[in-house]
Parts: sequence; C-alpha cells; structure tokens
Amino acid sequence: MAATQMQTDIPTPQDATDTVKKDWPGRWSNMNKFLDRRGPFCDSGFIPGHGEDILLNQCRILVIGAGGLGCEILKNLALSGFKEIEVIDMDTIDVSNLNRQFLFRQSDVGSPKAKVAAEFIMKRVAGVKVSYYYGKIQDKDEDYYLGFHLIICGLDSVEARRWINATLVNMVQDDPERIRVLIDGGTEGFKGQARVIIPTITSCYECSLEMLSKPTSYPICTIANTPRLPEHCIEWASVLQWPKLRENEKMDTDDPIHIQWLYETALARAKEFDITGVTYSLTQGVVKNIIPAIASTNAIVAASCCNEAFKIITNSQPYLNNYMMYTGNEGVYTFTFEHQKKSDCPVCGIQNISVEVKRDITVEDFIDFLKEKPDIQLKKPSLTKASTNEKIYWQSPPFFEQKTRPNLEKKLSSIVEEGDDILITDSSLPISLTVKISYV
Amino acid sequence: MNIDKKTQKYDRQLRLWQASGQLALETSKVCLINGTATGCEILKDLILPGIGSFTVVDGERVDGSDAGINFFLDADKIGSSRAQAVTELLQELNEDVKGYHFVEDPVVLIENQPEYFLQFTIVIATELHEKFLLKLAEILWNAKVPLIVVRSIGFIGYFRIVVPEHTVVETHPENVVDLRIDTPFPAIEKYAKNLDFDSLDDTDHAHIPYVIILLKYLDQWKREHDGNLPKTYSEKKEYQSIIARGKRTIDEENFGEALTNAWKACTPNKITREIQEILNDPACENITTKSSSFWIIARAIRDFVTNEGQGLLPLAGSVPDMKSDTTGYITLQTIYRQKAKEDAAAVRARVNDILISIGRTTDFIREEEIDSFCKHAAYIKVIRYRSLQEEYISDPKKSEINRWIQDPQENIIYYVLIRAIDRFYESHQRYPDAATFFNGDNSEEAASEESTTEFKELKTNIQSMLEEWKITNSPEHLDDFIHEMCRAGGSELPNIAALMGGLVSQEAIKLITHQYIPINNTIIFDGVKSTSSTYVL
Repeated sequence: MAATQMQTDIPTPQDATDTVKKDWPGRWSNMNKFLDRRGPFCDSGFIPGHGEDILLNQCRILVIGAGGLGCEILKNLALSGFKEIEVIDMDTIDVSNLNRQFLFRQSDVGSPKAKVAAEFIMKRVAGVKVSYYYGKIQDKDEDYYLGFHLIICGLDSVEARRWINATLVNMVQDDPERIRVLIDGGTEGFKGQARVIIPTITSCYECSLEMLSKPTSYPICTIANTPRLPEHCIEWASVLQWPKLRENEKMDTDDPIHIQWLYETALARAKEFDITGVTYSLTQGVVKNIIPAIASTNAIVAASCCNEAFKIITNSQPYLNNYMMYTGNEGVYTFTFEHQKKSDCPVCGIQNISVEVKRDITVEDFIDFLKEKPDIQLKKPSLTKASTNEKIYWQSPPFFEQKTRPNLEKKLSSIVEEGDDILITDSSLPISLTVKISYV
Repeated sequence: MNIDKKTQKYDRQLRLWQASGQLALETSKVCLINGTATGCEILKDLILPGIGSFTVVDGERVDGSDAGINFFLDADKIGSSRAQAVTELLQELNEDVKGYHFVEDPVVLIENQPEYFLQFTIVIATELHEKFLLKLAEILWNAKVPLIVVRSIGFIGYFRIVVPEHTVVETHPENVVDLRIDTPFPAIEKYAKNLDFDSLDDTDHAHIPYVIILLKYLDQWKREHDGNLPKTYSEKKEYQSIIARGKRTIDEENFGEALTNAWKACTPNKITREIQEILNDPACENITTKSSSFWIIARAIRDFVTNEGQGLLPLAGSVPDMKSDTTGYITLQTIYRQKAKEDAAAVRARVNDILISIGRTTDFIREEEIDSFCKHAAYIKVIRYRSLQEEYISDPKKSEINRWIQDPQENIIYYVLIRAIDRFYESHQRYPDAATFFNGDNSEEAASEESTTEFKELKTNIQSMLEEWKITNSPEHLDDFIHEMCRAGGSELPNIAALMGGLVSQEAIKLITHQYIPINNTIIFDGVKSTSSTYVL
C-alpha cells in the first residue's frame, strides 16, 4: 500500500490527441434527449438545456472501490458525461478479479486497482478526468469528502461502509450545505442491493445493520473435539494448527503455499475422522471467506447506482427512495422500498439506546454482548462512564488498556448504576454512542 | 496440487455453477444481432465468464452517437463497420473467448439465409422490430434454439425469453433437507431402534443427533397410536412434550434441535404437485429416440417412484450439520448416503432399460447426470415458454394485460408503448422523437406543431393496439407515458444498457448452463422508479 503517499494522482493522457477528440457530433445526443427535454415525471426544479453544463463543468464524483462494482461504476459515469471523477482503492489486482473486473488484464496482476482503472477509463473515454488514490478511505479527512458532490460506494467490506457512512453523517453538523449524498451498492453471488443515503435525512447504512446476515462461524469446541463437516477440519488447520506449528509465521491467505499447507493439514484430519469433502477450493473459500461474484450482478447493481447518481445530479427524473434489493437466482426479482430511519441509530439517531443486562454481568461479557448485538456490532468497543468520565475499559492506547484491564473481571453493576449512561467508542469507526443501562 | 490459471481466474463464479456449468459456457456459441450499447454490455458480461465464442451480426456503420454511449467503441471508429469495431474491443476482455463478426444487415440475413442462425447455442437480438423479429423467432423456435429479445429505450429496459422448453436439474434451492423422519427407510429405522438412549452416559446422550431423537420418539408414538403420525395440533404438541421429557438436563442442544424440527417431522413426506406434474407430463409418458436425457431420466424416476421408491422420490442423501459427536454424525451421514446410492443405482438401471428399449446405447447419458438428477429430483424444473407468434398474433394475453394495466404499480404500460413504438418505426423507419411535455408556467417552453403530431401519432398507435386487445378503459396517466417515450426518442442510456447487460447475460447463463431458474417470459425494468416486473406474455 502506498501509505506514505497521501496525495491524489492523475494519470497523464497517453497521447496529446485525447484532448483534440474530446467531443464529436452526436456524442451526447442520447443523453441530451433527456437533458434538453422536460419529462412528465421529472422534478419541477429541472431546467431543460442545462444538463451538459452540470455534468461537464460543475460536478465532482468520488467512487470508493475499483473492484467488481467500481470498474462498472467508472465506465458508466464516464459514458454518462461526468467529467471529474476520483477513485479510491487500497487493493492490487488478483487473477481471480479478471472474471468480472473488466478494466484489468492478466498483465495488470499485482498493480494497484485504482491506478489501472483510472488509466483505462481515460484512455477509452475521451475528455474525462479520472484521478485516483491508492490507499485507504480512512487516510482522508472531512475536507476531502466535502470536495465532492456525490459519493458512490462499491465496497466489499462492512467496516469500510460503516466508516464512510458515519463520516458523512457526522460531517453534516446541522448544515444542509455539508450534506453529501452517498449511493451504496453491494453484491453477493446472484444477489445485491443499491441504495441512496442522504445523510441525516434518510436512513443511513448503520440504520440497516440488522439486515446483514451473520457471517458463518464455527464453535471452537466443535473444531477441536467433534468435527463433522469439511469446514470444521479447515478451521482446525487454520485456527488451531497454524498458530501451534508455525507460530512465528504470519498466515497469508493469498499465498498458495500457505493454502496448500492448510489444505493438506485439513485433509489429514478429515481422513482421520472419515469426513469427506475437503478440497483446495473449499479450503481457500473458508479461510479467505470468499463470496461468489459474477459480472452480471455487478453490472446490474453498479448500473442502478449510476442511474440514481445521474438522476440526482441532473434532476432529469425522480430518484430512488431509497433502497432496491435484487435477487437473480430464481427469475429476476427486485424489491424497491423506503428503508426507515431508526430513531435510536448509533450514527444518525437522536434517541439514546437502552439495553437490559443481567445484574451479575462482567465488564468483559458486556463488551462481548456489544460486539454480538445485531444493531451495534462493534469490533473493539471502549467504555466510559458518562456521568463521571471514569474509564471503564479502553482498548487503546496501551497505557489505558493496561490500566483499565482489571475492570474486565468486575461486575458492570459495581461501576455503573441502574439508569446510568455509558459512552461507547470504537477506534475503527467514527461512532460514539451513549447506552442507558438497566439491570434485570 | 497446482491450481491452473483458468480455475484461478474463474474461481468466484465456479463457486456458483461449478465445473459442469463452466464447461457448458465454454462450449457455447453466442450470437448478437446488432452491436448496440445494450448488446455489447450483454456480450461483455458473457465474455468475462468465458463463453466459447461470440458473433456480432450488424450491417451498420459506427456513428457519433454510437461512439458516445458504447464502451467498446471510440471516436476513431466512426464510419467503420460496427460489427467489426465492437468485436475488436470486446475480444480484449478474455483471451479464452473467440470473437467473430459478420458485416451484414440482420434483416437481410433473416430474409435470405435464416438457417445461418441455427449454428448458435443462443441468439440475442437487440434493435430488431416486429416483422423480422417474428420471422427469426419462428426459425429458432422450430430448431429449439433459445432467443432473447432485448429493447432499451430511454430509462426503460425490456427483454423476453423465447424457447419451446427449458429444463433444469440443478436449480440450486437454498435448503435441501430430506430426512424421511415420517417414513424411515429400513437402515435408518433399525439404527434408531437399536440405539439405547438410557445406556448412554451424559456426554453421549447430549450428542445424539436430533434426527435419531425424532425417529426414536416418533417410533414410540406410532406404536402407541396404531402406526399413525401425530396429526392434530394437540397431538403434535404432545409429541413435542414427549421429546422434551427425554432431556436429562435443560440445556441439551441436540434435544433443542429436535424440538425445533419436530413439527416438520410430523408432516407426511409427499411428492409436490409441481414435480408430480412433470412426472405425469406427456413428454415423460412418451419416450422416443427424440427424447432428451432430462425426460428419459424423469421417466426412470417416475417408474422408480411407483416401484422401489414406494411412492417417494430417490433420496437426496445429504444430512445438515447438527449437534453430534463425530462418529454419530458420520454414521448417520453414511446411512443416508448409502440409501441415496442404492436409489440412484435403481434409477440408473431403469434409465439403461429405457435407453435399450428405444435403441440407444447406455452411454447416451452419463452416470453423473443420473446421480445429479436423483439428488435434485424434488427441485427439478420445466418451463414451457409461449412463442412470439402466440404473443403477437394468435393468442395475445388480452385479459391479463387489461388487468395488469389498471394497476399503477405495474410496468406493463411500457410493454404496450414498446409495441406501439415498433409500429411507429415500421411506418417511419425512425422512433418517435420530440419534446412534447411542457411546464405550463414557463412561457419559454411551448409545443411545436411537429411535436404535437409526434405525440398524437404514437397515441393513435397505442389506442389501436388497445382496441385490438379489447381494452376499453384507458390506462391512468397514459399521456404521461407517451410524453416520456417521445422524450426518449429511441435513445439508449449507458446506465440502462449496462443494467440490461447484467440481467440478460444472467438469464443467458442460466439457459446455457441449465442451472438456476430463468424468468418466464418477459421482464420490464423501469429506471425512473427503479422497479422491475415479470410477465407471462
């Protein structure tokens, strides 16, 4: 990762003629039918004949992710007439991307996705400027995000989505001028969704956290003592055997030699217990938590996101309010609905969260409870007593962690009384929430 | 073990359709009629996952608007053959796919040499209008080659699958559980009977698989109730409380699982109506040398059901994960798998008998195909499509359209518009194309005479179409939809082209691989409201 280099790069056009052939007769004739003509469904604020100006000269769009969705999003935006696009991605190209990430070729394997994608689009679509940042979204601050009119996300990580969502919501600070629309797309196999989030106005990503399906996990005692499935043997190899037998080595799930070792170790265990079905491919799938992905679903979801972006920016049609779910394994099914804002959403809600816990719960168990709770799902929560600012448990910095660690074994009720508020923060997310405690 | 490059490249899709689906894709030949933006997006999403070859048939030359909206064209290509230009850039997407182009007006080809299209696995037609579309559809229908008709106008996308019959074995249902608790086969019945719960220590007792728990107590119930299953609500409740009483401690998870599944266990295992219909189908009854492997195996299954199967389908043989120790689970799994193997062997024997009786050799159907069929027998699917000829001429769905069109949530109105626009096109060789909707408050905007004519003519086309279908109630806000289509002027938008590319490629993959369930038969996507609707037209 190019962690040292924080600025954004703009690829230089391959040849100077690019600027010459910027436009040609008829280039925008399809788009202009909608931009130059009023329609019966379009917003009353729509002014015919101004679309090209909006797209060409005024609008800056940020695309987060240059993967399966990102490649499609960049292409669609460029063809729709957007002229200033920036793309962020922290990954490099892997051979398994090539079945859908169509801006990349075999010879690009190992190169940064953001760079190759930006260069490809600028080469193919004349006159569009695509700048890129090869790094993490967390490297950028509010001023950076305020510099765009609209942000489209094509991410594969829940954590990154929660981060950008919370950042954009927090950024508003009661000033409507600081609202930046977020369009979020996601896919899994034949399924996907596209949604429009207007921070503080509509429901946000965090409001819908409960809709996520829980990731598969296997109890450690099953893995250690009573394996039944090939997956149990693979988990045994990666979770228990690797740290035991290769303790000084960091497991790299992208290294085929490491996967091979895990596969062989899992296979030996499976044989011992007469379990069938351990394969190299399954091993890879389990340890890397691989989600199936195909070109078709990416195209559908990305196009839907870009269609909404085009409608929002140009006012040429009403836009999605606010969620479209897509399923394609049995026929083609879409469900379009308004996802409701949650009044006690940890990010955009106005109401505090109340939780009921057992009177004898320890601080450590309470932290586990927060991690598991479907509408909170924090990774590394730090707790502070709101009324006194007393640190209950802090995950970082190390000094405070050490100092507050003895509290983990204590009963929560010995520190926090019935009806008290606990302030919860998480270093991986720009979220702080206040939770009212009651005991049962 | 070394994983080859191709397996690495296709890893994320192989997890959906496995090597068998991939092989079907890699041996397929796809034809695209007209290298439009929508057509090229469809091909893109088929070339990436690795079809065998594609052929673009197109007589047009690239113009400025093509180069503006099609990612597989640029300004340098203006004036050159569109078929050749798009093929060149599409080809770059995957070195394992062969790309061909044929510079010829598809309409001329349909007229003079329609058999050209019969060499393909599937034909996808964009921008083809009624008259020649019907002609092409008929040729392909008779040869059983699937056709997908695709239209993309402004924010609206439409496609229609046309093929006489499509059969699917691997439908990929989400949960396949067939445990036969109510009608246990001898091996599992004996195993459950012989396991003495009382003699187990507490650890073993907490690890009895729930399937065995259900079988044990159901056996007890049946002995006490003249061999009957718990039927009424109170009987089922009673069965549940018998299981609950078997718990030694309150937190035995396996008994918890048994209680959760108890209700389902009392429901008699029956062949569903949909599967029974397939088994009763004339194609299953009358097996000839022309019968496909699907129908031959289906017939063998039917014969199995009435004989060895004793009214039930062959056992799928899979056992879901459950609380158990390793030995208990593996033993259970082995018993179910063994029974599934025996059932499959019986079906195989019947398949071979059928093949011999129709004068075919037994290698006509591979063993794996039969085994897979047996495993998925409860979920197989047969779709019989309506022909375009029926839809357009001999048997339009008049009353259904009339019903749908009254519901403002439906997208069917755009079907009527697309059909009317086709008629407009046939008489003018162009699309209705004008600004016809104006904001009354704004004096700068006003309807010109031409635009008024455009609107009126499209409306006349629609009205005569509605009359033909005996639809007397004019749909609500009809004028708005006409305005919107005049505004679109037959344009393609990159986003809608890409979206249709995704949808159509997905359905093409289903048709080629015979996996997952394709739509029957028409989809209309409305990019204004972001909704889609499926219709049998």
